[in-house]
Amino acid sequence: MRRLGLALLLWIVVVGGVAPGTQEALPGRPDSLKFAAIGDTGNGRREQYEVGEQLASARAAFPFELVIMLGDNLYGRQQQQDYVTKFERPYAALLSAGVGFYASLGNHDNPANARYAGFHMSGARYYTYARNNVRFLALDSNLMDPAQLAWIDETLKQSKDDWKICYFHHPIYSNSGRHGSNVQLRVILEPLFVKYGVNVVFSGHDHVYERLKPQKGVAYFVSGAAGELAKGDVKPSAETAAYFDQDQSFMLLEVAGDDLFFKAMSRTGRTVDSGLIRRQLTKATGTL
Amino acid sequence: MRHQAAAQHVEHPLNFHVQRRWAARLGHRWYRHLFDRFLLLPLGAAIALIWANSAPESYFSFTQRISFPVNEIGMAFFFALMTQEVVEAAMPGGALHSWRRWGLPIVAAAGGIIGSVSVYLAFVNASYQSVLSLGWPVACAIDVAAAYYVLKAILPRSGALPFVLLIGIATNAFGMFVVAPRHLVLATHVGGAVLMLIAIGLAGVMRAIGIRAFVPYLAICGTISWFAFFWSGLHPAFALVPIVPFLPHEPRRLDLFADPPDDDATHHFEHEWNVLVQGILFLFGLVNAGVMLRGYGAGSSAVLAAALVGRPAGILAAVGLAVLAGLHLPRRLGWRELVVVALASSSGFTIALFFATAVVAIGPLLAQITIGALATGVGALLALGAARLLHIGRFARRSAEKEGVHGFQPESR
Repeated sequence: MRRLGLALLLWIVVVGGVAPGTQEALPGRPDSLKFAAIGDTGNGRREQYEVGEQLASARAAFPFELVIMLGDNLYGRQQQQDYVTKFERPYAALLSAGVGFYASLGNHDNPANARYAGFHMSGARYYTYARNNVRFLALDSNLMDPAQLAWIDETLKQSKDDWKICYFHHPIYSNSGRHGSNVQLRVILEPLFVKYGVNVVFSGHDHVYERLKPQKGVAYFVSGAAGELAKGDVKPSAETAAYFDQDQSFMLLEVAGDDLFFKAMSRTGRTVDSGLIRRQLTKATGTL
Repeated sequence: MRHQAAAQHVEHPLNFHVQRRWAARLGHRWYRHLFDRFLLLPLGAAIALIWANSAPESYFSFTQRISFPVNEIGMAFFFALMTQEVVEAAMPGGALHSWRRWGLPIVAAAGGIIGSVSVYLAFVNASYQSVLSLGWPVACAIDVAAAYYVLKAILPRSGALPFVLLIGIATNAFGMFVVAPRHLVLATHVGGAVLMLIAIGLAGVMRAIGIRAFVPYLAICGTISWFAFFWSGLHPAFALVPIVPFLPHEPRRLDLFADPPDDDATHHFEHEWNVLVQGILFLFGLVNAGVMLRGYGAGSSAVLAAALVGRPAGILAAVGLAVLAGLHLPRRLGWRELVVVALASSSGFTIALFFATAVVAIGPLLAQITIGALATGVGALLALGAARLLHIGRFARRSAEKEGVHGFQPESR
């Protein structure tokens, strides 16, 4: 009986440890790029503060150096005091530790927020930066004008970085009931992503977490529940790889060589999804 | 006897040839109905809405390919036709010739613009989505054809028709002035202004040497003007507007939107032109009206509130102030009729769609505003409802007959 119990315990540990969506998957290598992703944050409510605390405690074990913000960084009134109550206080521990927040604009963001120093946008609606072997493009999906499209094309064409990661507010793949996929944006952006070998795309807008199965070789995440929440809003389809819509959530990511490790966590610190993305063969660089 | 039998055979309703003729007549009647009332655009819009919501990927792939030729080139013919009709209507003997008629409508148009833009911006700010502020010119748009046909149905041959036409023309002229330089272009070229001078100069020369055909003006001067607008960072859909005053003209005594009789060279070209524009408007509706309905958002409500509340309120307030200042209402146009006129002008539809594509780039905001622009079509129903409630025009005649009293009698020609 005792042997049976031990065998059962061993089975739970082994099988449970590798079950999809629950694997603790961040290796924390010293030379890797570590970052977090949060979307639809800035409502100033208790849940946003709790996600901020969870991020801070996660950083103790996983010292990420930057946070990408997927839009709707401030909701409602957006005056001087609101930057404090809806951004600086919830993430005070991270800001004081020198973590950089790199924002993209959502439909609730005042375009003037691009000039706020804490968002590192330097006044631009869309911008790019590189860390280690990763090229980030923060886009403005509110207004996909010809100038921005030409800029995306040129920036991706010029990039020699191993990883190309784009993030913007409105998802081009999503299975949420409220908003869902923005197909008009998809028709414009997806050919560029495929042509230049973009590896991963992050969006918010839908107040849930969803991981899509790779579409035409590109991995898509929706992570728009770090403040707002649309409980039970995901209507999973054949495109859905994993989702979580029962509580606020955020993502931790690590790029190590040709591997990108990801982990989605709930407001309470529970891992709700995790995994690994291998860098695909890209037409632009011709490398693995 | 044999002849009678043959005739009976031909007239028999089940005869294939009779059916075909009947079907052709019915088809032609429906086509004329759609054509004469500018309904091909709503038809294109309806197809687009169904297509976009049932097979969005194929719809948006299609529109991405043809939006430039339709919006930037094709619509130049629409605005040129509008300009041609206004120029002819303003000629001696034309329906809008008397400049004394312009005073009050311009005041009303200004009130409508202030009212609609104020409501739009207030709505956007109240919903804390200031990124939508850039769509305010959409709130200015009036679908003149829609307003015209609604009022023609309610108040035929009354002073309301030229009044609403003038409000629409003044309002849209303001909107075009705002929208034109904000066109979303990548780069501008200094050569644009020089090309513009060449186009206008050439049109002047053609006029001076008495060229009566439209084609040389449109093909040569129009093409040069199109490049001039495009390179100057102006919306090229307005490229033919400065060329149109040089075209041959005949004054319009009839309806502004009626297809002119094909009785001389000028009217023949206008007739051909009208056919072309109707086809373009169908494509315009097809390309621009397709939005996924779950893209509804604050921008949709803002456009709708601006059109249905802001503009009528602004028009009525401005006319009220103008009357207090000493201006007179048009003959046979009382305050009740004015309420119906103000509501009839609330539909933005065609022009609102155009302004939206001109000032808002592709994306979710454009979808929101487009839904609002399409929804302003309900303004026509509100005008009809108000006319019925206030017993105006046709509805007055009916109630008068029932009650045995005299209602509003339309002005006879």
